[in-house]
Amino acid sequence: MANLIGKSEKRIDGYDKVTGKGLYASDYYNQFPHMAYIKAFRSPYAHAKIKKIDYTKAKALPGVIYILTGYEDVRWDDFPKMAIIAKDEVLWAGQAIALIAAETEEIAEDAVKLIDCEFEVLPFVSDYYEAIKPDPVSVIDPEYETRAQGFQDRPADRATNRVSPNIVGAYYMHTGDLEQGFKEADIIMEDEFSVGKKTASPLEPATAICKYEPDGGLTMISNGAGVHGVIKEHICRVLGMPESKVRVIQPYMGGSFGSRLSPYVELQTALMAMRIKRNVSYRFTRKEVFTAGPSNWSCTTKVKMGAKNDGTIIAHDYYLCEEIGACVNNTFFSGRLSSSGAAPCYRFPNMRMDTFAVATNTVPAAEYRGLGCPEAEWGIEIMVNRLAEKLKMSPVDIRLKNIIDPGERDIYGEVITSIGLKKCLLGVNEVIKVEEKPVQDGSVWKRGKGCAVAGKQNTPLGRSEAKVWYNSDGTIQLFISCDENGMGATTAMGQICANEFGVDLKDVKVIKGDTLCTPYDNYSASSRTTYNTGNAVMIACADCINKLKTEVARVYGLNPKNVEIKGKKAILKGTYVQEVDIPPLFKHWTMFTQGNWGLQQYSPVVGYGVYCPAPIHQWGPDGKSDRVWNWFQYSACAVEVAVNEETGVVKVVKIASSADTGNPINPEIVKSQIQGGVHMAIGFTTMEEHLYDEKGAQSNANFSDYRLPTIGEMPTNENVFALINPDPLPDGPYGAKGMAESITVPVGPAIEEAIYQAVGVRLNYYPMTAERVLAAIKEKKAREAAK
Amino acid sequence: MSEIEKIRVELTVNGKHHVLYVSPCKTLLEVLREDLNLIGTKRGCDDSNCGVCTVLVNGQAIKSCTMLIPLANGCDITTIEGLEREGGLHPLQQAFIDRFAVQCGYCTPAMILTAKAILDENPNASEEEIRDGLHGNLCRCTGYTKIMEAILDVRDGKYKESCGEV
Repeated sequence: MANLIGKSEKRIDGYDKVTGKGLYASDYYNQFPHMAYIKAFRSPYAHAKIKKIDYTKAKALPGVIYILTGYEDVRWDDFPKMAIIAKDEVLWAGQAIALIAAETEEIAEDAVKLIDCEFEVLPFVSDYYEAIKPDPVSVIDPEYETRAQGFQDRPADRATNRVSPNIVGAYYMHTGDLEQGFKEADIIMEDEFSVGKKTASPLEPATAICKYEPDGGLTMISNGAGVHGVIKEHICRVLGMPESKVRVIQPYMGGSFGSRLSPYVELQTALMAMRIKRNVSYRFTRKEVFTAGPSNWSCTTKVKMGAKNDGTIIAHDYYLCEEIGACVNNTFFSGRLSSSGAAPCYRFPNMRMDTFAVATNTVPAAEYRGLGCPEAEWGIEIMVNRLAEKLKMSPVDIRLKNIIDPGERDIYGEVITSIGLKKCLLGVNEVIKVEEKPVQDGSVWKRGKGCAVAGKQNTPLGRSEAKVWYNSDGTIQLFISCDENGMGATTAMGQICANEFGVDLKDVKVIKGDTLCTPYDNYSASSRTTYNTGNAVMIACADCINKLKTEVARVYGLNPKNVEIKGKKAILKGTYVQEVDIPPLFKHWTMFTQGNWGLQQYSPVVGYGVYCPAPIHQWGPDGKSDRVWNWFQYSACAVEVAVNEETGVVKVVKIASSADTGNPINPEIVKSQIQGGVHMAIGFTTMEEHLYDEKGAQSNANFSDYRLPTIGEMPTNENVFALINPDPLPDGPYGAKGMAESITVPVGPAIEEAIYQAVGVRLNYYPMTAERVLAAIKEKKAREAAK
Repeated sequence: MSEIEKIRVELTVNGKHHVLYVSPCKTLLEVLREDLNLIGTKRGCDDSNCGVCTVLVNGQAIKSCTMLIPLANGCDITTIEGLEREGGLHPLQQAFIDRFAVQCGYCTPAMILTAKAILDENPNASEEEIRDGLHGNLCRCTGYTKIMEAILDVRDGKYKESCGEV
């Protein structure tokens, strides 16, 4: 059996998905009898008090079963209740006020319209600037109990020491001597950058089906992420249910990109099922995916950099604010996560980071591919491009001068064990040749080129477990609970397992995402699955192989170290045979079998593996720590764009993107992640953005008005270059690490630079829509005319 | 809110004739999924923008979420369940697997059916024409590059021998 690592094995879920036989959460609807359906009555206002609410008419509608409100007695524990249902006060337009269960979706929908609710509209906080201005409106009215967990009074701005009620966390870090650094700099540049709010928009809307079990337990089938670490844990905590009576199954999932880590639809459905003791389902409409599901968190950054004439960046003063929506979700906000990406690429010997997060009356934010890094590094990468221009250097050379080498420490003090970033940058530059001017054709479409790089940390999210069965016929079953959002993780895990046993991938059956039989895993996030679950799989395989060796050794009276397992064969040393088939060693069971302690048919040899990265070292007052992130993924991107100088439309005509994946397990799946990642980033940096009306409600919460990129936004196939430039990760399985997030990060700043090269305008905000680009072009022309 | 009287609808789906009595308010998507249990056709946005509900109606790629069932009366419909053949997959299905054109898979059935409609109409469709044809089908995972590779392989006849005609 040849080595399977680095081989592009076909996806194990390919057949299920091309035939439509693979089941997604909503495909289970037909399988459950006596089902109730949920629809929600949601706030039309960004901020209001609920003065009076009358459910009488809705309750009286035939077919309405139950109306669940915020007054329900539930142990919310530390989960933000307002993310599930409002009480007294609504904090964003789209927040659920009442959940209605009815015999059909139509009846539930009709009942929603019969709810009579009187609001007292309150002033609202729409964005970062509103949140931190002097005497701001409070996102959560002080009259009510509770500012969300995590809210704290902290200075919003260290310079003025101004305190805002809307600050939810802060992080401060400094290294070197910033003042001295700026003194020694030959040039200093600074600017402020910002980005829009976006929704990950996986094509399958959030869906949950909750089967009420007669023993008072429940079985949840949903497309949420983290069967153990998110969904089961939250159901047990919030509903106070025993772990023994909660089962969570994750079927195929129609994309996530981070958005499924917030278990709203699951908790709402489970609450209802326990109230009415029936099977209950809830699927979000597309509007709810926008206004009730999570958005990303946008960031505003201020970047000030000082550099020497030779391009060495010696001082970096960095300010960042995350805008997180109306409540602290089940994630962590202080700017620490977003700003983490600012550290691992460049040396920055003298640096200050001043970061915090604010709440606003908008949909609560949560993870979105990149965890704030596309937003946080946007300004940094643009600034590096501007420094290069000012210093008359190539944007490639300035980066090569400042990029960290393997083994160096980053500004936090962490050792960078794997960084292939220089190779990535050189790789994409070989394709796009950013230093060479593009050919102009004399039309209104002006061409330009640009490049950028990115890093993204891997958060130490805790443990992954894996279980392996070596069956008596020599087939293998792998039990894991990582998510398969579509990224190909189960195929990669299967490859690792098959490789450990020396069998073909088809001989390994991967069983995934059912808390009843697959062991613990937190969830797939931070590009951790290959690394974390992958290591657990390797450990489980080693455990299983060791046990199998022991059993085979007993049959032949050998020391287990003299047995080697190669798929269905064992290679023996020092006895009368050199090679045996393993399956026949499993004894058949008969009525009078006694004392069969050895290998027995239909009783698999079981291996178990647990992998858990080392705990972090809590950072001190200087924000530094030598152990927080596990490792860093890197990527570089170079683009050629065409900008229509009359309409402002930007077309990416050629793109090269390179990933430092460590050693890739399955290169074609990695390439497909690269292509998908750049496409997604082209979308959110040139098109996608939440827009709000005067009530503070999202006005484009549908796919007609919130435009996602189509095939038309992707360059033609011969103009898409997906490259892999690995630097093996010492503690990754076969040297592999994750890669899916960093890919998106450098696309925006590379496009921004290319637009500048094409039409001479700078943009500090994305999405760089045609309107914004055109406005900048007009402004530039007006400026030039005034001269 | 009153109960709407059901109507009689005849459909041929994947070669099989059906006579159904359904509410005229139902969409073709709902009838396929709920009444005929053909769940390979997906639901994504309900306003014909994402394209995951695409099926072939009289050979044309149609977004079934915005086709009310009376409009489909008497039509010949192909869903993803109708593509697999005895002894093997449809060439587009096989090519999507071979070219890694599938990730989460939620858009895949619709993408394959749209590709079939494009190639049925013009077996020599250019890359440009295929891009135009796929414009109404969103994919959030793949960036379309590998989807295009798969369709081009089928167009170029690479699966004629192993899987047969499109």
